[in-house]
Amino acid sequence: MRAFILAGGFATRLWPLTEKRAKPLLPLAGKPIITHLVEKIPDGMPVTVSTNGAFADGFKKWMDGLDRKGMELVVEGTLRDDQKLGALGSIAQWVEAEKIDDDLLILTGDNYLGFSLEKFLKAFHGNPLLAAHDIGDLERAKAFGVVVPGEGVRVKAFEEKPKSPSSTLVSTGCVVFPKSTLSVVKDYAKVKPDNLGGIFEEFLRKNLAVEYFTFTEPWMDIGSFHSYLDAHRELIGERALIDPTATVKETECRGSVTIGKNCSIEGSELTDCMIFDNVTIRNCTLKNCVIDDGCVLEGIDLQKQMLRTGTKLIVR
Amino acid sequence: MRRPLILFLWLATDYALFLAAYAFAYFFRVGWIFSSDLPFHDYMTAVAISGIPWLAFLATTRTFGLTRNQRSPRNAAYIAYASVLGIAFVTLVYFFLFQGIFSRMLVIEAAVLSAVTTWTWHMAMGFIMRAVLISGHPVYPTLIVGVTRETRTLLKHLRERRSVLVPVAILDASGVKEKEIEGVPVKGKLDKLEETLRDFGITHVLQCSDLEQSINLLGACRAHGITYMLLPSVLGIVEQDERVESLEGKAVTVVSPDAGWWSWFFR
Repeated sequence: MRAFILAGGFATRLWPLTEKRAKPLLPLAGKPIITHLVEKIPDGMPVTVSTNGAFADGFKKWMDGLDRKGMELVVEGTLRDDQKLGALGSIAQWVEAEKIDDDLLILTGDNYLGFSLEKFLKAFHGNPLLAAHDIGDLERAKAFGVVVPGEGVRVKAFEEKPKSPSSTLVSTGCVVFPKSTLSVVKDYAKVKPDNLGGIFEEFLRKNLAVEYFTFTEPWMDIGSFHSYLDAHRELIGERALIDPTATVKETECRGSVTIGKNCSIEGSELTDCMIFDNVTIRNCTLKNCVIDDGCVLEGIDLQKQMLRTGTKLIVR
Repeated sequence: MRRPLILFLWLATDYALFLAAYAFAYFFRVGWIFSSDLPFHDYMTAVAISGIPWLAFLATTRTFGLTRNQRSPRNAAYIAYASVLGIAFVTLVYFFLFQGIFSRMLVIEAAVLSAVTTWTWHMAMGFIMRAVLISGHPVYPTLIVGVTRETRTLLKHLRERRSVLVPVAILDASGVKEKEIEGVPVKGKLDKLEETLRDFGITHVLQCSDLEQSINLLGACRAHGITYMLLPSVLGIVEQDERVESLEGKAVTVVSPDAGWWSWFFR
Protein backbone atom coordinates (compact mmCIF):
# COMPACT_ATOMS: atom_id res chain seq x y z
CA MET A 1 0.00 0.00 0.00
CA ARG A 2 1.08 3.58 -0.74
CA ALA A 3 -0.03 6.78 0.93
CA PHE A 4 -1.02 9.81 -1.11
CA ILE A 5 -1.53 13.15 0.62
CA LEU A 6 -3.60 15.79 -1.13
CA ALA A 7 -2.05 19.20 -0.58
CA GLY A 8 -2.81 21.01 -3.83
CA GLY A 9 -5.29 23.57 -2.54
CA PHE A 10 -4.74 27.31 -2.36
CA ALA A 11 -6.60 27.80 0.94
CA THR A 12 -8.03 31.17 0.05
CA ARG A 13 -10.26 31.20 3.16
CA LEU A 14 -7.18 31.27 5.36
CA TRP A 15 -5.67 34.28 3.61
CA PRO A 16 -3.36 35.94 4.62
CA LEU A 17 -1.79 33.03 6.53
CA THR A 18 -1.71 31.01 3.32
CA GLU A 19 -0.36 33.80 1.18
CA LYS A 20 3.13 32.32 1.11
CA ARG A 21 2.60 28.85 2.51
CA ALA A 22 0.18 26.00 1.88
CA LYS A 23 -2.46 25.21 4.49
CA PRO A 24 -0.94 21.82 5.41
CA LEU A 25 2.27 23.68 6.28
CA LEU A 26 0.57 25.97 8.78
CA PRO A 27 1.87 25.30 12.28
CA LEU A 28 -0.36 23.46 14.69
CA ALA A 29 0.88 22.74 18.20
CA GLY A 30 4.48 23.32 17.27
CA LYS A 31 4.67 21.55 13.92
CA PRO A 32 3.02 21.74 10.49
CA ILE A 33 -0.45 20.20 10.18
CA ILE A 34 0.83 17.73 7.59
CA THR A 35 3.60 16.53 9.92
CA HIS A 36 0.95 15.33 12.40
CA LEU A 37 -0.52 13.33 9.53
CA VAL A 38 2.75 11.86 8.24
CA GLU A 39 3.75 10.77 11.74
CA LYS A 40 0.64 8.58 11.86
CA ILE A 41 1.39 6.76 8.60
CA PRO A 42 2.94 3.36 9.36
CA ASP A 43 6.73 3.25 8.96
CA GLY A 44 7.91 1.87 5.67
CA MET A 45 4.85 2.90 3.69
CA PRO A 46 5.87 5.12 0.72
CA VAL A 47 4.29 8.57 0.98
CA THR A 48 3.58 10.88 -1.93
CA VAL A 49 2.56 14.47 -1.31
CA SER A 50 0.77 16.23 -4.15
CA THR A 51 0.89 20.00 -4.25
CA ASN A 52 0.58 22.89 -6.67
CA GLY A 53 3.33 24.87 -8.37
CA ALA A 54 2.85 27.88 -6.11
CA PHE A 55 3.65 26.06 -2.85
CA ALA A 56 6.11 23.43 -4.11
CA ASP A 57 9.20 25.10 -2.61
CA GLY A 58 7.63 25.16 0.85
CA PHE A 59 6.92 21.44 0.68
CA LYS A 60 10.44 20.66 -0.57
CA LYS A 61 11.88 22.53 2.39
CA TRP A 62 9.49 20.78 4.77
CA MET A 63 10.34 17.37 3.32
CA ASP A 64 14.09 18.05 3.64
CA GLY A 65 13.65 18.65 7.35
CA LEU A 66 11.61 15.52 7.88
CA ASP A 67 13.17 12.42 9.39
CA ARG A 68 11.37 9.87 7.25
CA LYS A 69 12.40 7.81 4.25
CA GLY A 70 10.27 7.06 1.20
CA MET A 71 8.81 10.56 0.85
CA GLU A 72 8.08 11.90 -2.62
CA LEU A 73 6.69 15.22 -3.85
CA VAL A 74 4.48 15.50 -6.90
CA VAL A 75 4.05 19.00 -8.23
CA GLU A 76 0.99 19.83 -10.29
CA GLY A 77 1.60 22.47 -12.91
CA THR A 78 -1.04 24.72 -11.38
CA LEU A 79 -0.22 28.18 -10.09
CA ARG A 80 -3.69 29.55 -9.44
CA ASP A 81 -6.88 28.52 -7.67
CA ASP A 82 -8.87 28.40 -10.93
CA GLN A 83 -6.34 26.02 -12.53
CA LYS A 84 -6.26 23.34 -9.82
CA LEU A 85 -6.78 19.75 -10.85
CA GLY A 86 -9.12 18.81 -8.03
CA ALA A 87 -8.59 16.06 -5.48
CA LEU A 88 -9.56 13.15 -7.71
CA GLY A 89 -7.87 14.78 -10.68
CA SER A 90 -4.57 14.85 -8.79
CA ILE A 91 -4.89 11.21 -7.75
CA ALA A 92 -5.83 10.12 -11.27
CA GLN A 93 -2.98 12.08 -12.86
CA TRP A 94 -0.43 10.55 -10.47
CA VAL A 95 -1.81 7.02 -10.87
CA GLU A 96 -1.69 7.41 -14.63
CA ALA A 97 1.75 9.03 -14.79
CA GLU A 98 3.44 6.67 -12.33
CA LYS A 99 1.49 3.61 -13.50
CA ILE A 100 0.48 2.91 -9.91
CA ASP A 101 -0.93 -0.54 -9.33
CA ASP A 102 -1.25 -0.70 -5.58
CA ASP A 103 -3.78 -0.09 -2.83
CA LEU A 104 -3.89 3.61 -1.97
CA LEU A 105 -4.29 5.32 1.37
CA ILE A 106 -5.58 8.80 0.52
CA LEU A 107 -5.27 11.57 3.09
CA THR A 108 -6.20 15.23 2.85
CA GLY A 109 -3.32 17.37 4.01
CA ASP A 110 -5.37 19.88 5.98
CA ASN A 111 -7.03 17.34 8.28
CA TYR A 112 -5.92 16.44 11.76
CA LEU A 113 -6.64 12.80 12.60
CA GLY A 114 -6.64 11.79 16.23
CA PHE A 115 -7.06 8.07 15.57
CA SER A 116 -4.41 5.50 14.74
CA LEU A 117 -3.96 4.89 11.03
CA GLU A 118 -2.68 1.39 11.78
CA LYS A 119 -6.01 0.63 13.40
CA PHE A 120 -7.80 2.14 10.39
CA LEU A 121 -5.78 0.06 7.95
CA LYS A 122 -6.58 -3.11 9.87
CA ALA A 123 -10.21 -2.44 8.98
CA PHE A 124 -9.34 -2.62 5.27
CA HIS A 125 -10.55 -5.88 3.75
CA GLY A 126 -10.14 -5.23 0.04
CA ASN A 127 -13.17 -2.94 -0.36
CA PRO A 128 -13.04 0.85 -0.59
CA LEU A 129 -12.85 2.09 2.98
CA LEU A 130 -13.47 5.50 4.48
CA ALA A 131 -12.99 6.87 7.97
CA ALA A 132 -16.26 8.33 9.22
CA HIS A 133 -16.82 10.53 12.22
CA ASP A 134 -20.08 11.10 14.05
CA ILE A 135 -20.36 14.85 14.43
CA GLY A 136 -23.71 14.46 16.20
CA ASP A 137 -25.42 17.36 14.46
CA LEU A 138 -27.50 17.08 11.29
CA GLU A 139 -27.12 20.79 10.60
CA ARG A 140 -23.33 20.60 10.65
CA ALA A 141 -23.42 17.42 8.58
CA LYS A 142 -24.78 19.42 5.62
CA ALA A 143 -21.28 20.73 4.96
CA PHE A 144 -19.71 17.27 4.57
CA GLY A 145 -20.03 14.02 2.71
CA VAL A 146 -22.55 12.03 4.74
CA VAL A 147 -22.27 8.26 5.20
CA VAL A 148 -25.53 6.36 5.47
CA PRO A 149 -24.66 3.14 7.34
CA GLY A 150 -25.86 -0.21 6.05
CA GLU A 151 -25.37 -3.65 7.51
CA GLY A 152 -22.27 -4.09 9.66
CA VAL A 153 -19.53 -1.85 8.33
CA ARG A 154 -21.10 -1.49 4.89
CA VAL A 155 -22.02 1.91 3.52
CA LYS A 156 -25.61 1.93 2.28
CA ALA A 157 -25.48 5.32 0.62
CA PHE A 158 -23.25 8.32 0.38
CA GLU A 159 -24.60 11.87 0.26
CA GLU A 160 -22.25 14.68 -0.79
CA LYS A 161 -23.10 17.90 1.10
CA PRO A 162 -26.82 17.02 1.31
CA LYS A 163 -29.58 19.54 2.09
CA SER A 164 -31.26 16.98 4.38
CA PRO A 165 -28.60 14.61 5.74
CA SER A 166 -29.73 11.07 6.54
CA SER A 167 -27.14 10.64 9.29
CA THR A 168 -24.58 12.52 11.34
CA LEU A 169 -21.76 10.23 10.23
CA VAL A 170 -19.48 12.25 7.98
CA SER A 171 -16.60 11.25 5.77
CA THR A 172 -13.19 12.52 6.84
CA GLY A 173 -10.21 13.05 4.60
CA CYS A 174 -8.98 9.50 5.07
CA VAL A 175 -9.87 6.76 2.61
CA VAL A 176 -8.46 3.62 1.05
CA PHE A 177 -8.89 2.80 -2.64
CA PRO A 178 -8.08 -0.83 -3.41
CA LYS A 179 -6.01 -1.20 -6.56
CA SER A 180 -8.96 -2.97 -8.23
CA THR A 181 -10.93 0.31 -8.12
CA LEU A 182 -8.27 2.61 -9.58
CA SER A 183 -9.73 2.35 -13.10
CA VAL A 184 -13.10 3.55 -11.72
CA VAL A 185 -11.31 6.42 -9.95
CA LYS A 186 -9.52 7.43 -13.15
CA ASP A 187 -12.72 7.34 -15.22
CA TYR A 188 -14.73 9.26 -12.64
CA ALA A 189 -11.96 11.86 -12.28
CA LYS A 190 -12.36 12.70 -15.96
CA VAL A 191 -15.96 13.75 -15.27
CA LYS A 192 -15.81 15.10 -11.69
CA PRO A 193 -12.15 15.81 -10.87
CA ASP A 194 -12.94 17.80 -7.73
CA ASN A 195 -15.50 15.45 -6.16
CA LEU A 196 -13.65 13.11 -3.81
CA GLY A 197 -16.88 12.21 -2.00
CA GLY A 198 -18.64 11.53 -5.29
CA ILE A 199 -16.40 8.56 -6.01
CA PHE A 200 -18.13 6.63 -3.23
CA GLU A 201 -21.51 7.29 -4.85
CA GLU A 202 -19.92 6.04 -8.07
CA PHE A 203 -18.63 2.86 -6.36
CA LEU A 204 -22.12 2.21 -4.96
CA ARG A 205 -23.69 2.89 -8.38
CA LYS A 206 -21.36 0.24 -9.79
CA ASN A 207 -22.43 -2.18 -7.01
CA LEU A 208 -19.01 -2.15 -5.40
CA ALA A 209 -19.08 -2.69 -1.65
CA VAL A 210 -17.91 0.33 0.34
CA GLU A 211 -17.02 0.05 4.02
CA TYR A 212 -16.56 2.58 6.78
CA PHE A 213 -14.49 2.82 9.91
CA THR A 214 -15.65 4.91 12.86
CA PHE A 215 -13.62 6.45 15.61
CA THR A 216 -14.16 8.56 18.69
CA GLU A 217 -10.81 10.34 18.76
CA PRO A 218 -10.63 13.97 17.61
CA TRP A 219 -10.79 14.81 13.93
CA MET A 220 -10.40 18.32 12.62
CA ASP A 221 -10.96 19.62 9.13
CA ILE A 222 -8.98 22.86 9.11
CA GLY A 223 -10.69 24.97 6.52
CA SER A 224 -11.25 28.33 8.12
CA PHE A 225 -9.86 30.71 10.71
CA HIS A 226 -12.29 29.43 13.35
CA SER A 227 -11.63 25.75 12.66
CA TYR A 228 -7.88 26.46 12.77
CA LEU A 229 -8.23 28.08 16.19
CA ASP A 230 -10.53 25.25 17.34
CA ALA A 231 -7.94 22.67 16.28
CA HIS A 232 -5.28 24.61 18.13
CA ARG A 233 -7.40 24.69 21.30
CA GLU A 234 -8.16 20.98 21.00
CA LEU A 235 -4.52 19.99 20.69
CA ILE A 236 -2.91 22.44 23.09
CA GLY A 237 -5.54 22.51 25.81
CA GLU A 238 -5.25 25.07 28.60
CA ARG A 239 -1.54 25.78 28.37
CA ALA A 240 1.10 27.86 26.67
CA LEU A 241 3.49 26.18 24.27
CA ILE A 242 6.51 28.47 24.09
CA ASP A 243 9.48 27.80 21.82
CA PRO A 244 12.75 27.78 23.81
CA THR A 245 14.18 30.52 21.58
CA ALA A 246 11.34 32.92 22.43
CA THR A 247 11.59 35.58 25.15
CA VAL A 248 8.43 36.12 27.18
CA LYS A 249 8.42 38.71 29.96
CA GLU A 250 5.64 39.99 32.22
CA THR A 251 3.07 38.37 29.96
CA GLU A 252 -0.07 36.52 30.93
CA CYS A 253 -1.10 33.61 28.72
CA ARG A 254 -4.66 32.31 29.04
CA GLY A 255 -6.33 29.38 27.27
CA SER A 256 -4.33 27.86 24.44
CA VAL A 257 -1.29 29.86 23.41
CA THR A 258 1.57 28.94 21.07
CA ILE A 259 4.60 31.18 20.73
CA GLY A 260 7.04 30.44 17.91
CA LYS A 261 10.77 30.80 17.37
CA ASN A 262 12.66 33.98 18.24
CA CYS A 263 9.55 35.84 19.40
CA SER A 264 9.80 38.64 21.93
CA ILE A 265 6.68 39.17 24.02
CA GLU A 266 6.55 41.72 26.81
CA GLY A 267 3.91 43.22 29.09
CA SER A 268 1.02 41.62 27.20
CA GLU A 269 -2.05 39.44 27.67
CA LEU A 270 -2.56 36.60 25.23
CA THR A 271 -5.73 34.52 25.18
CA ASP A 272 -6.14 31.64 22.71
CA CYS A 273 -3.50 32.92 20.33
CA MET A 274 -1.06 31.46 17.86
CA ILE A 275 2.06 33.54 17.48
CA PHE A 276 4.27 32.39 14.62
CA ASP A 277 8.04 33.05 14.37
CA ASN A 278 10.06 36.26 14.83
CA VAL A 279 7.15 38.26 16.22
CA THR A 280 7.56 41.20 18.59
CA ILE A 281 4.64 42.07 20.86
CA ARG A 282 4.80 44.76 23.54
CA ASN A 283 2.03 46.03 25.75
CA CYS A 284 -0.80 44.37 23.81
CA THR A 285 -3.96 42.43 24.62
CA LEU A 286 -4.67 39.77 22.02
CA LYS A 287 -7.62 37.38 22.01
CA ASN A 288 -8.25 34.66 19.44
CA CYS A 289 -5.57 35.92 17.10
CA VAL A 290 -3.14 34.29 14.72
CA ILE A 291 -0.07 36.46 14.20
CA ASP A 292 2.09 35.53 11.24
CA ASP A 293 5.89 35.71 10.98
CA GLY A 294 7.74 38.96 11.58
CA CYS A 295 4.85 41.06 12.89
CA VAL A 296 5.54 43.92 15.28
CA LEU A 297 2.69 44.97 17.57
CA GLU A 298 2.91 47.62 20.23
CA GLY A 299 0.24 49.19 22.41
CA ILE A 300 -2.76 47.67 20.63
CA ASP A 301 -5.67 45.38 21.55
CA LEU A 302 -6.89 42.93 18.92
CA GLN A 303 -9.55 40.23 18.77
CA LYS A 304 -10.28 37.56 16.16
CA GLN A 305 -7.60 38.67 13.73
CA MET A 306 -5.25 36.88 11.38
CA LEU A 307 -2.35 39.21 10.73
CA ARG A 308 -0.31 39.11 7.56
CA THR A 309 3.43 38.47 7.57
CA GLY A 310 5.39 41.56 8.55
CA THR A 311 2.43 43.63 9.78
CA LYS A 312 3.57 46.56 11.90
CA LEU A 313 1.04 48.14 14.25
CA ILE A 314 2.69 50.48 16.68
CA VAL A 315 0.49 52.80 18.73
CA ARG A 316 2.54 55.28 20.71
CA MET B 1 3.30 63.43 -14.39
CA ARG B 2 -0.21 64.43 -15.52
CA ARG B 3 -1.41 65.31 -12.01
CA PRO B 4 1.54 67.60 -11.00
CA LEU B 5 1.29 69.39 -14.34
CA ILE B 6 -2.44 69.96 -13.94
CA LEU B 7 -1.91 71.11 -10.36
CA PHE B 8 0.76 73.60 -11.42
CA LEU B 9 -1.48 74.96 -14.19
CA TRP B 10 -4.41 75.14 -11.79
CA LEU B 11 -2.46 77.14 -9.20
CA ALA B 12 -1.02 79.43 -11.87
CA THR B 13 -4.39 80.07 -13.48
CA ASP B 14 -6.04 80.66 -10.09
CA TYR B 15 -3.41 83.26 -9.31
CA ALA B 16 -3.87 84.88 -12.71
CA LEU B 17 -7.63 84.85 -12.22
CA PHE B 18 -7.24 86.51 -8.81
CA LEU B 19 -5.23 89.32 -10.42
CA ALA B 20 -7.72 89.61 -13.30
CA ALA B 21 -10.74 89.74 -10.95
CA TYR B 22 -9.18 92.56 -8.94
CA ALA B 23 -8.10 94.41 -12.09
CA PHE B 24 -11.60 94.13 -13.50
CA ALA B 25 -13.12 95.31 -10.18
CA TYR B 26 -10.76 98.32 -10.27
CA PHE B 27 -11.87 99.41 -13.73
CA PHE B 28 -15.49 98.58 -12.97
CA ARG B 29 -15.39 100.90 -9.96
CA VAL B 30 -13.17 103.79 -11.14
CA GLY B 31 -14.14 103.64 -14.82
CA TRP B 32 -11.98 102.50 -17.72
CA ILE B 33 -9.16 104.90 -16.74
CA PHE B 34 -6.13 104.81 -14.45
CA SER B 35 -7.13 106.75 -11.32
CA SER B 36 -4.60 109.07 -9.69
CA ASP B 37 -6.36 108.70 -6.29
CA LEU B 38 -5.86 104.95 -6.41
CA PRO B 39 -2.81 104.30 -8.62
CA PHE B 40 -3.33 101.09 -10.60
CA HIS B 41 0.31 100.07 -10.19
CA ASP B 42 0.18 100.36 -6.38
CA TYR B 43 -3.17 98.61 -6.22
CA MET B 44 -2.03 95.69 -8.37
CA THR B 45 1.22 95.41 -6.39
CA ALA B 46 -0.86 94.87 -3.26
CA VAL B 47 -3.08 92.39 -5.15
CA ALA B 48 -0.06 90.48 -6.51
CA ILE B 49 1.47 90.15 -3.04
CA SER B 50 -1.86 89.15 -1.47
CA GLY B 51 -2.50 86.54 -4.14
CA ILE B 52 0.17 84.29 -2.65
CA PRO B 53 -1.28 83.94 0.89
CA TRP B 54 -4.76 83.77 -0.69
CA LEU B 55 -3.65 80.79 -2.79
CA ALA B 56 -2.06 79.19 0.27
CA PHE B 57 -5.28 79.61 2.24
CA LEU B 58 -7.26 78.18 -0.66
CA ALA B 59 -5.01 75.12 -0.63
CA THR B 60 -5.68 74.57 3.09
CA THR B 61 -9.38 74.16 2.25
CA ARG B 62 -8.32 71.17 0.10
CA THR B 63 -10.18 72.54 -2.89
CA PHE B 64 -7.37 71.22 -5.11
CA GLY B 65 -7.88 67.75 -3.65
CA LEU B 66 -8.01 64.85 -6.06
CA THR B 67 -11.47 63.70 -5.04
CA ARG B 68 -13.02 67.09 -4.18
CA ASN B 69 -16.36 67.71 -5.84
CA GLN B 70 -15.94 71.25 -7.14
CA ARG B 71 -19.68 71.75 -7.57
CA SER B 72 -20.53 71.05 -3.94
CA PRO B 73 -21.92 73.85 -1.72
CA ARG B 74 -19.15 73.11 0.76
CA ASN B 75 -16.49 73.79 -1.86
CA ALA B 76 -18.28 76.99 -2.89
CA ALA B 77 -18.34 78.08 0.77
CA TYR B 78 -14.60 77.47 1.15
CA ILE B 79 -13.88 79.51 -1.97
CA ALA B 80 -16.11 82.31 -0.62
CA TYR B 81 -14.19 82.28 2.70
CA ALA B 82 -10.92 82.45 0.78
CA SER B 83 -12.20 85.42 -1.24
CA VAL B 84 -13.17 87.31 1.92
CA LEU B 85 -9.74 86.59 3.32
CA GLY B 86 -8.23 87.64 -0.03
CA ILE B 87 -9.78 91.09 0.14
CA ALA B 88 -8.61 91.45 3.73
CA PHE B 89 -5.06 90.61 2.62
CA VAL B 90 -5.23 93.16 -0.24
CA THR B 91 -6.57 95.93 2.02
CA LEU B 92 -3.98 95.28 4.71
CA VAL B 93 -1.06 94.98 2.29
CA TYR B 94 -2.14 98.19 0.51
CA PHE B 95 -2.41 99.99 3.85
CA PHE B 96 1.01 98.78 5.02
CA LEU B 97 2.75 99.57 1.71
CA PHE B 98 1.06 102.82 0.71
CA GLN B 99 -0.65 104.01 3.94
CA GLY B 100 -3.93 104.31 2.11
CA ILE B 101 -7.37 102.78 1.98
CA PHE B 102 -9.74 102.51 -0.94
CA SER B 103 -13.41 102.35 -1.90
CA ARG B 104 -15.66 100.09 0.17
CA MET B 105 -17.61 99.14 -2.97
CA LEU B 106 -14.37 98.11 -4.64
CA VAL B 107 -13.74 95.79 -1.69
CA ILE B 108 -17.16 94.17 -2.06
CA GLU B 109 -17.04 93.94 -5.85
CA ALA B 110 -13.52 92.46 -5.89
CA ALA B 111 -14.47 89.85 -3.26
CA VAL B 112 -17.63 88.81 -5.13
CA LEU B 113 -15.90 88.77 -8.49
CA SER B 114 -12.97 86.81 -7.13
CA ALA B 115 -15.29 84.24 -5.50
CA VAL B 116 -17.51 83.78 -8.57
CA THR B 117 -14.66 83.52 -11.08
CA THR B 118 -12.64 81.17 -8.86
CA TRP B 119 -15.58 78.82 -8.27
CA THR B 120 -16.52 78.81 -11.98
CA TRP B 121 -12.92 78.15 -12.95
CA HIS B 122 -12.60 75.39 -10.37
CA MET B 123 -15.63 73.61 -11.80
CA ALA B 124 -14.08 73.86 -15.25
CA MET B 125 -10.71 72.66 -13.96
CA GLY B 126 -12.40 69.79 -12.13
CA PHE B 127 -13.88 68.71 -15.45
CA ILE B 128 -10.59 69.14 -17.32
CA MET B 129 -8.66 67.27 -14.62
CA ARG B 130 -11.02 64.29 -14.79
CA ALA B 131 -10.77 64.18 -18.59
CA VAL B 132 -6.97 64.32 -18.52
CA LEU B 133 -6.45 61.88 -15.65
CA ILE B 134 -8.78 59.17 -16.90
CA SER B 135 -7.94 59.32 -20.61
CA GLY B 136 -5.77 56.47 -21.90
CA HIS B 137 -4.11 54.62 -19.06
CA PRO B 138 -5.76 55.97 -15.88
CA VAL B 139 -3.42 57.82 -13.52
CA TYR B 140 -5.14 56.41 -10.43
CA PRO B 141 -6.02 52.74 -10.98
CA THR B 142 -8.15 51.70 -8.03
CA LEU B 143 -8.70 48.26 -6.54
CA ILE B 144 -12.13 47.51 -5.09
CA VAL B 145 -12.17 44.97 -2.25
CA GLY B 146 -15.44 43.25 -1.43
CA VAL B 147 -18.55 42.81 -3.53
CA THR B 148 -21.76 44.08 -1.96
CA ARG B 149 -24.84 45.96 -3.09
CA GLU B 150 -23.00 49.10 -2.04
CA THR B 151 -20.04 48.15 -4.25
CA ARG B 152 -22.24 47.90 -7.32
CA THR B 153 -23.85 51.27 -6.60
CA LEU B 154 -20.45 52.83 -6.03
CA LEU B 155 -18.96 51.43 -9.24
CA LYS B 156 -21.89 52.79 -11.24
CA HIS B 157 -21.59 56.15 -9.50
CA LEU B 158 -17.84 56.41 -10.13
CA ARG B 159 -18.33 55.61 -13.80
CA GLU B 160 -21.19 58.08 -14.25
CA ARG B 161 -19.28 60.84 -12.46
CA ARG B 162 -16.10 60.06 -14.43
CA SER B 163 -14.16 59.83 -11.20
CA VAL B 164 -10.40 60.28 -11.32
CA LEU B 165 -10.13 57.09 -9.29
CA VAL B 166 -10.76 54.47 -11.95
CA PRO B 167 -11.72 51.01 -10.65
CA VAL B 168 -9.62 48.52 -12.61
CA ALA B 169 -10.00 45.33 -10.57
CA ILE B 170 -12.17 43.75 -7.90
CA LEU B 171 -11.22 41.21 -5.24
CA ASP B 172 -13.56 39.55 -2.77
CA ALA B 173 -12.57 37.53 0.30
CA SER B 174 -15.21 34.86 -0.35
CA GLY B 175 -15.12 34.97 -4.12
CA VAL B 176 -18.00 35.82 -6.46
CA LYS B 177 -19.36 34.09 -9.53
CA GLU B 178 -19.40 37.15 -11.79
CA LYS B 179 -16.42 37.72 -14.06
CA GLU B 180 -17.00 41.46 -14.04
CA ILE B 181 -19.18 44.02 -12.31
CA GLU B 182 -20.12 47.27 -14.05
CA GLY B 183 -17.37 46.52 -16.57
CA VAL B 184 -14.68 46.04 -13.90
CA PRO B 185 -13.02 42.59 -13.89
CA VAL B 186 -13.30 40.39 -10.80
CA LYS B 187 -9.79 38.99 -10.34
CA GLY B 188 -10.57 36.51 -7.56
CA LYS B 189 -10.07 36.27 -3.84
CA LEU B 190 -7.67 38.09 -1.55
CA ASP B 191 -4.86 35.63 -2.27
CA LYS B 192 -4.50 37.60 -5.53
CA LEU B 193 -3.88 40.86 -3.67
CA GLU B 194 -0.14 41.18 -4.23
CA GLU B 195 -0.43 40.09 -7.86
CA THR B 196 -3.26 42.56 -8.53
CA LEU B 197 -1.50 45.47 -6.82
CA ARG B 198 1.57 44.80 -8.92
CA ASP B 199 -0.05 43.99 -12.28
CA PHE B 200 -2.42 46.96 -12.31
CA GLY B 201 -0.07 49.46 -10.69
CA ILE B 202 -2.77 50.19 -8.11
CA THR B 203 -2.59 53.61 -6.44
CA HIS B 204 -5.78 53.41 -4.34
CA VAL B 205 -7.55 50.57 -2.53
CA LEU B 206 -11.21 51.04 -1.68
CA GLN B 207 -12.52 48.53 0.86
CA CYS B 208 -16.24 47.89 0.51
CA SER B 209 -16.63 44.82 2.78
CA ASP B 210 -14.61 42.08 4.56
CA LEU B 211 -14.00 44.24 7.62
CA GLU B 212 -11.98 41.47 9.29
CA GLN B 213 -9.27 42.00 6.68
CA SER B 214 -8.87 45.78 7.23
CA ILE B 215 -5.59 45.47 9.11
CA ASN B 216 -4.10 43.24 6.43
CA LEU B 217 -5.29 45.47 3.59
CA LEU B 218 -3.92 48.52 5.38
CA GLY B 219 -0.63 46.70 5.91
CA ALA B 220 -0.39 45.92 2.20
CA CYS B 221 -1.22 49.54 1.32
CA ARG B 222 1.45 50.86 3.71
CA ALA B 223 4.02 48.47 2.28
CA HIS B 224 3.30 49.57 -1.31
CA GLY B 225 2.68 53.29 -0.67
CA ILE B 226 -0.96 52.96 -1.73
CA THR B 227 -3.82 55.13 -0.48
CA TYR B 228 -6.38 53.12 1.52
CA MET B 229 -10.05 54.08 1.66
CA LEU B 230 -12.94 52.51 3.54
CA LEU B 231 -16.60 52.72 2.65
CA PRO B 232 -18.51 53.74 5.82
CA SER B 233 -21.13 51.04 5.19
CA VAL B 234 -18.46 48.44 6.07
CA LEU B 235 -18.73 49.77 9.62
CA GLY B 236 -22.51 49.88 9.41
CA ILE B 237 -22.56 53.65 8.88
CA VAL B 238 -25.26 54.42 6.34
CA GLU B 239 -26.28 57.96 7.35
CA GLN B 240 -24.01 59.60 4.72
CA ASP B 241 -23.23 62.08 7.48
CA GLU B 242 -20.11 60.60 9.06
CA ARG B 243 -17.11 62.81 9.69
CA VAL B 244 -13.71 62.44 11.22
CA GLU B 245 -13.36 64.85 14.11
CA SER B 246 -11.07 65.39 17.02
CA LEU B 247 -11.85 64.13 20.51
CA GLU B 248 -9.32 65.73 22.85
CA GLY B 249 -6.79 65.61 20.05
CA LYS B 250 -7.57 62.04 18.99
CA ALA B 251 -9.24 61.42 15.65
CA VAL B 252 -12.67 59.78 15.88
CA THR B 253 -15.33 58.98 13.30
CA VAL B 254 -18.57 60.66 14.32
CA VAL B 255 -22.15 59.84 13.37
CA SER B 256 -24.68 62.13 15.04
CA PRO B 257 -28.39 61.54 15.55
CA ASP B 258 -30.83 63.32 13.26
CA ALA B 259 -31.55 66.88 14.37
CA GLY B 260 -32.47 70.24 12.85
CA TRP B 261 -30.25 71.65 10.10
CA TRP B 262 -28.96 74.32 12.48
CA SER B 263 -27.43 71.62 14.71
CA TRP B 264 -24.78 71.03 12.01
CA PHE B 265 -23.01 74.20 13.19
CA PHE B 266 -22.84 73.23 16.86
CA ARG B 267 -22.52 69.46 17.16
